[in-house]
Amino acid sequence: MAETGEELVFELRDVHFSYRDHVALDGLSMSVQRGERLVLLGANGSGKSTLLKLLDGLIFPDRGSIHAFGRKLTAEALADEGLARSFRRRVGFVFQNSDAQLFSASVRDEVAFGPLHLGLEHREVERRVADTLHIMGLEHLADRPPYHLSGGEKKKVALASVLAINPEVLLLDEPTAGLDPKTVGFLERLLNQLAEAGKTVVTATQDLDLAAAIADRLLVLGEDHRRAGEGTPPEVLADRRLLLESNLVHDHPHRHDGREHRHPHSHLEDHGHRHRD
Amino acid sequence: MTAEAPTSLPAWMLETEGGGIAPSGRRRRRGAAERTLDGVARALERSLFSEELAARAGTLQEMDPRLKTVCLAVLLLAALLVRHLPVLAAMYALVLVLAWASLVPLGRFAGRVWLFVPLFTGLIVLPSIFNLFRPGDPLLVLWHFGEGASLGPWQLPAELAVTRQGLQGALLLVTRTAVSVSLVVLLVLTTRWSVLMGALRALRLPRVFVLVLAMTYRYIHLLLGLVTEMHLARLSRTATRLPARRERRLAAAGIGTVLEKSQVLGTEIHEAMISRGYSGEPLTLSTFSLRPADLPPAALMLLSAAAAWGGDRLLG
Amino acid sequence: MHIPDGYISPQTAGGLWAAMVPAWYYAGRKVRGALAGRRAPLIAASAAFAFVVMMFNVPVPGGTTGHVVGGTLLAVVVGPWAAVLAVTAALVIQALFFGDGGIIALGANCFNIAFVSPVAGYFVYRLVSGRSPISSYRHPLGAGIGAYVGLNAAALLTALELGIQPLLFHDAAGTALYSPYDLSQTVPAMMSVHLLVIGVLEAVVTSLAVAWMQRTNPGLLFAAAPGETAGERFRLRPLLVALALMLVFVPLGLLASAPAWGEWSSEEIAADLGFVPAGMERLEGLWSGVLPDYGFPGGGEGVSQAVGGYLVSAALGLAAAALVAVVLAQVVRRRSSHDG
Repeated sequence: MAETGEELVFELRDVHFSYRDHVALDGLSMSVQRGERLVLLGANGSGKSTLLKLLDGLIFPDRGSIHAFGRKLTAEALADEGLARSFRRRVGFVFQNSDAQLFSASVRDEVAFGPLHLGLEHREVERRVADTLHIMGLEHLADRPPYHLSGGEKKKVALASVLAINPEVLLLDEPTAGLDPKTVGFLERLLNQLAEAGKTVVTATQDLDLAAAIADRLLVLGEDHRRAGEGTPPEVLADRRLLLESNLVHDHPHRHDGREHRHPHSHLEDHGHRHRD
Repeated sequence: MTAEAPTSLPAWMLETEGGGIAPSGRRRRRGAAERTLDGVARALERSLFSEELAARAGTLQEMDPRLKTVCLAVLLLAALLVRHLPVLAAMYALVLVLAWASLVPLGRFAGRVWLFVPLFTGLIVLPSIFNLFRPGDPLLVLWHFGEGASLGPWQLPAELAVTRQGLQGALLLVTRTAVSVSLVVLLVLTTRWSVLMGALRALRLPRVFVLVLAMTYRYIHLLLGLVTEMHLARLSRTATRLPARRERRLAAAGIGTVLEKSQVLGTEIHEAMISRGYSGEPLTLSTFSLRPADLPPAALMLLSAAAAWGGDRLLG
Repeated sequence: MHIPDGYISPQTAGGLWAAMVPAWYYAGRKVRGALAGRRAPLIAASAAFAFVVMMFNVPVPGGTTGHVVGGTLLAVVVGPWAAVLAVTAALVIQALFFGDGGIIALGANCFNIAFVSPVAGYFVYRLVSGRSPISSYRHPLGAGIGAYVGLNAAALLTALELGIQPLLFHDAAGTALYSPYDLSQTVPAMMSVHLLVIGVLEAVVTSLAVAWMQRTNPGLLFAAAPGETAGERFRLRPLLVALALMLVFVPLGLLASAPAWGEWSSEEIAADLGFVPAGMERLEGLWSGVLPDYGFPGGGEGVSQAVGGYLVSAALGLAAAALVAVVLAQVVRRRSSHDG
């Protein structure tokens, strides 16, 4: 099922999705190029997570269409075992909630889960588990149950459990939320290494620093659950109005070195500033 | 959801209300929230203890988990069938030897079992040693009621006595329960949860059921963490014990929150499993193999079970 | 309410295991239809809830605290059959990790707590809540009454299972081999405390929790309301069939297995019960036909006794040898790890 030559990994046309009466995406069209590093920027509730779940074929649009590798992604299509298997081998998803993703009894079982269920030979599974644990520096945790891991370790195991599948497209939902700076640095380097190896990396985040570090292209989702803007990191990050309207920065007076001035900055960064108003 | 610039803080928030930290002289009574926290802490501590012991290099730890599970189950069944006190006592001695050979701290091991047994079994069984509840041959007469004595509608026997049958029955029940609990504790203490699940799968329990068990144990830890946070947040904001009505409402809301969280989790976990290829048929790597070194402990357990059962029949 | 190992005879426990197998099978099939591939994670998360809910201490009048079981509450949210499987998983983990309830007695505990309690509780809940809207007071009321009924049903069954033990299993001198109290003692003892205190607590907390969900997250109750999404219609007939099957299975399990020990004769039962169940005399004949004096169950025959004694001493001798091996291996291991 290796359809080489196609340049588009995903193509979305006018996608709508709502949970009961709550709209999550309202008419989104976009595409993901093979091998690109795409970051989906958006504030809480802008529909980033929903978009990733749509791309991973976990939920399906109410209206509009999604094509993956040139094939239409629907519940019926993924009901076909062969197609589901090849799709899941090509697309990996790192969830925001590591606790939901780490459901196995030990780290080793967790990393083996994907390769096993996607039909790899046991010997090959064992090799991949060993290799993945090695590159992620998780060997010493192999027999530990997931609930005794720290937040950073959990995120690494979650990533390892997806990398062991060796997917060509990697979807990540808020991968740096709640992580210490060292783990964030590790993650940034790893994602860029994977992109250099030709993988397509789609990351949803509201962390502008991360976006600057790991993106070729940014796509901004607005409050209205539609596309608010798009461009290279320098273009988008310089567009203050866009970032303000999308709630990715806030703008208010504060002090630096005793002088008061205004400039936009992100929600997550801590500048140690003090509100005055 | 527009980002609002924080409006000015209310005047009272600008004041510092501290004062000193002064004792009032009245002790605060431990309430339901503290008890819940104690229970959760005990549960988590117990799980940690098991994991630590399971990692040691003892006899049972190194045994093939499938064989170990079967052997301990056979012993358990024998303990339930045996009906003579000396045989049960011998079985308990065997359990202690196995625990010792598995580097289980005997004091704590016995303590865990014997704290539980008298509390539940001992207290319940205590009245049955008297002839008030079960007739029998008197062993020790405690009190003479006289003929025809009655307590309300209740006919009393002529004398209050500890009966031979009652005492024997009580001892039998207490020892039997102690042996059974010890055997189960021994299995759990010497087997990592993931390994135990692998053994259950290898023993042909339905795979989906074992998967559910493994995940249940894992998510119990998560929900226990949630319960702890909820109660700590509660305690950090309340100084006195709340009235029982209020406390019950809080408990109900807490239970509702945990239930809600569990349902959200169930859906999220499902998505995470689907995403990695799960289609309803769980698979695992199985890496168990029998070794010659498994033979002596297995033989010890199986033969002892046979000897206990057979010996018990011989005794009549 | 969790019966530990040793309180009921393996025969009783076996009968209840046999009763649970069709219940689990039926629940599994129902849930497969309703939840599709979601069932394993959803049941596991629900089972984790069923475990954790018992950790909540709730004040009861009189200054102490009790805890709730939550089976009916879970059934209201996930449906009765998913609740059966979830509570089963919770009971397994309690038995393994806390010695709360036995392993051999697991069948009995599952029958009482994981099967009868949530199913009966859910049935009463649906009876009371009917087709009322999700915001109706009938939901918390029905859940409360259902929880009360469900818990007391479980308590009654527990009392019955314990109460028949001294009647069925005692030695010649009248020493009880398992639980020593008879029905006239277990039923009042269990039921008074459950009807008056524990059941009321269960009812109050369940109904408060349902009311809380109505206010904060009515979506959780969607599955319970008929005609809404995922709302599976609750049908009475399969439940009644299952219950009828249980009623047949359980006494059969009790009676069929007991005479195998040749412990008590029809006369003994006549003395205890005042009559002999008609089917039992036949069963007794059947058993003695199948197992004519196997080995040494106190038969008093010279040869079989001698053979039995030989086998037992052989087993003992081999066990002793194995014991020595285990002890030696451990000593060597300790010493070598000490040196290294």
